[in-house]
Amino acid sequence: MLQQTLITDKVGAAHWVLALFSLILMSSIVLAVKPAYAGMGSAEERIAPVGEVRLQGQPPAEIAPAPAELETEDVDLAAAPQPGRKDYPNIGMSSRAIVWVLAQMHLFFGALVLAVPLFVLMIELVGVYTDDDRYDDMAHEFMKISLTGFSITAIFGGSLTLALFMLYPDFMGYMMHVFGTQVLVYASLFFFESFFLYTYYYGWNAFRYGNLKWVHLTLGLLLNASGLTIMVLANSWATFMMAPSGVNEVGAVVGNIWEIMKGPLWNPINLHRFVANIAFGGAVVGAYAAFKFLSSKDPETRAHYDWMGYTSNFIAILAFLPLPFAGYWLMAEIYAYSQQMGITAMGGILAWLFIVQAVLIGTILLAGNFYLWSGMSRTEGSVRYKGLIKVIAFVLVVSFLIWVTPHTLILSASEISLLGGSHHHILGPLGIMPAKNIAVNLMLIATFLSFQLYRRSDKVATVRWAPLGNALMVAVYVAAVVNIIFLGVYYGYFTNTVYKVGSSVAQVSTTLVVIVAGLVIDTLMFKKAKILPSHWGRIPDRSQYALFALPIAFTWLMALMGYVRSSVKTHWHVYTVMKDNSPDNFIPTIGYAGNMITLVTILFLLCVLFMFWVANLSGSKQPQPAAGGKA
Amino acid sequence: MEQDNNMRIGSRLLAGLIAIIIMLVIFYGLDHLVMGMQGLPLNLDLSPAG
Amino acid sequence: MSVLFKTLGFSLALTLLFTLVTYLLPQVKGEAPVEKKVDLGSLTMEDFIAMGDDIFHNKGTCTLCHKPAPLGRAPDIEGGDMAVMAAERLKDARYKGEAKDVESYLRESLIDPSKYVVAGWGKKGSNDSESPMPHVDKPPIQLSSMEIDAVIAWLQAKDGNEVTVALPSPEAAAEVAAASTGGDAGKAPAPVATAAEALVKYACVSCHAMDSKDILVGPGLVDVGSRLGIKELRQSIIDPNAVVAEGFTPAMPSDFASKMTVKELEMIVNYLAEKKG
Repeated sequence: MLQQTLITDKVGAAHWVLALFSLILMSSIVLAVKPAYAGMGSAEERIAPVGEVRLQGQPPAEIAPAPAELETEDVDLAAAPQPGRKDYPNIGMSSRAIVWVLAQMHLFFGALVLAVPLFVLMIELVGVYTDDDRYDDMAHEFMKISLTGFSITAIFGGSLTLALFMLYPDFMGYMMHVFGTQVLVYASLFFFESFFLYTYYYGWNAFRYGNLKWVHLTLGLLLNASGLTIMVLANSWATFMMAPSGVNEVGAVVGNIWEIMKGPLWNPINLHRFVANIAFGGAVVGAYAAFKFLSSKDPETRAHYDWMGYTSNFIAILAFLPLPFAGYWLMAEIYAYSQQMGITAMGGILAWLFIVQAVLIGTILLAGNFYLWSGMSRTEGSVRYKGLIKVIAFVLVVSFLIWVTPHTLILSASEISLLGGSHHHILGPLGIMPAKNIAVNLMLIATFLSFQLYRRSDKVATVRWAPLGNALMVAVYVAAVVNIIFLGVYYGYFTNTVYKVGSSVAQVSTTLVVIVAGLVIDTLMFKKAKILPSHWGRIPDRSQYALFALPIAFTWLMALMGYVRSSVKTHWHVYTVMKDNSPDNFIPTIGYAGNMITLVTILFLLCVLFMFWVANLSGSKQPQPAAGGKA
Repeated sequence: MEQDNNMRIGSRLLAGLIAIIIMLVIFYGLDHLVMGMQGLPLNLDLSPAG
Repeated sequence: MSVLFKTLGFSLALTLLFTLVTYLLPQVKGEAPVEKKVDLGSLTMEDFIAMGDDIFHNKGTCTLCHKPAPLGRAPDIEGGDMAVMAAERLKDARYKGEAKDVESYLRESLIDPSKYVVAGWGKKGSNDSESPMPHVDKPPIQLSSMEIDAVIAWLQAKDGNEVTVALPSPEAAAEVAAASTGGDAGKAPAPVATAAEALVKYACVSCHAMDSKDILVGPGLVDVGSRLGIKELRQSIIDPNAVVAEGFTPAMPSDFASKMTVKELEMIVNYLAEKKG
């Protein structure tokens, strides 16, 4: 009884704290935003002299207020600055290289610390509903290992800001002018994020059960909300640079802050980064699990980290499957905004990059699938799927090869004359999008099939309509593959461009139908299924390397896409509005980009190792030296 | 007994075939729907209209 | 420890593999357009056509979209005869533009591509009413009128057709020089063609009511033509603080003289002179 009262009191107190908190939150937002809307007082009122010096007999000097108002109007119509080459500070090193490294490191860690609380919250919820402590403990562990990441994000963010102001003052002055108070709102959100982060993490065991657990989940939700808001605010700066909105042809601000933020690329980037962050976060914590698995000999510890690795891979691949759709939407919006920008990315100077992307995504899918197949050895029911796995592997490899095939071959002059051109007459057609769309969709379907088989491998269906359900599932896969190949070949090679592009949406919808159908049929078919024993920890060591390959490929891919995002603006700071006249205003070669990307990937790897090490450090205790002896 | 098995296999194959045909029809409809939504109408034989 | 080394080694090896892939690809640098000095005195038609060829393939970024089928996102230019194509387009019932000959059709297609969209090449969902082609005289391509002339000259010459474009004159060159340096280029977009556009461009309408005597910041101008003569109108724009209307404080921007072209000033002055209330 006393305990009940105490809990009720605590909840009551919690409610008051939350109410007070919301009040503070709302008033600070109002205070932050108010100055933008309260008219600026006249110059005379704000800087009226206390006293003035004048000759005896002379009338007091008049300060006309009207011009101040007109100046405001003039300032609002100010065009974007056009700095010349010498207006850019020179510190003896490529300014772009410095900003590139700092920005990419900030984005890596930003992505990580936004993603982890997302799936931590989901896992914690699962723990509440299943009443299984293991989920709660794993969620807690994920938070622990990523905690230092928040500081690292802030460190790189602060350095990035300083570097930007120092090296690109005119550009930053313009961006601050355009975005105004929004930047301060962004800054204020870090107070909230830190508050929710510390209360969420350090209060984990204090708010463990009953109503307090719901308080804890709310803190986690608010942590995610502030993180998400931080991300979409920052995204608006990047998308403004690519596709400016709310400004006129010369960059003068003519719209309000919503018009400035809500450009054509904002929401596609928001969705793409939101989903990609989750995949990335899952991959990174999976590497931690793999490392701990390999480092321990104790079967129970190995079982724990095997399960953690599986969960991480599950999160990473599950979030990865819809990612091509989000990326496609982004590219479609880029093409709609400026066909020129779209083609620069995929048909012009940056086109080769997407072959590298194919290599990376192929690595991700192959690694993810390989891990799933290796994991099948945890269960006895997986033996029946061995044959099917060979088929999946074959489809994956062939599709990957098609995806990687370029349209234009890299040949020497003599090779070109031998071939009769720079395109191979058989392999050449595999280099354009229709073939690649077929390949990608088949790879996604194959990966989903691996997933489905793995999920089924520890169950035996007991429902009477199981054979029909399986027949339907097979039909879904067969018909989908036929449809995808038909769409790609017919519209890709025998109709005009507009239908060719449109057919990829139909292909993607087909893949979605497969995924949804698979999930629905399996949920229904395996109700009250017989569960076969599965042994966590029973997985070959080499499978863990797949869990290392995943974050490396993801990291490298993220940096590669950052290179595209920045280069697609060609020689503009803000596309069509503010030209880039710096010494670095050219698109660097892909080899140079490769070096930069590898540099940041290695830096990231080292920082993540540090992050994991610190997490483990807090749990270790040096034994006290024996009395009378030195340590 | 063997006849039973054959029949079961036969009816399974039939069920599978019918399922595939049904799914192909569903995807045919999906193609029309998705292409139509983008302003790219199709004829009944799935060739571009207009 | 050995786990750490194996992990690091594997990760590093994979990273370097990706790097290797980038080394194997063609290394292309995307240079920003550079200002080129053209000596008009010695410019021949051949040089001019060569300039157009260079712009088409580089600064103009035309070849991004104008490629042969099936890759092209715009009609193939290099493979077709421009005079023949232009004549066909002009005869099309859907053609609603103002061009009458090959040169004006080409110029119109560059500056206002949506005036006429070749069937099948319009933006998706616009039923060929909107062109995905950017306006070539605006950012990001921003070709000057001299550069546009050069491109047209090349388009005509490449198929052996008659070149009807004239070589650039020194006045046009001065405009190019002003527009292609940094600095003021952003602040002064291409001069406008009508008085109405000029009034909007220089924001006259934000302080002066054009069709009434209402005072916004400055006096209403509906009858200004009957109050002020041409010389006074010109002075009130070039040197607004010389004579300020009674009851008003000096508030009109005094830098129009350095911003407006002579043509724009004259258009505005003539327009205002007509406003007799």
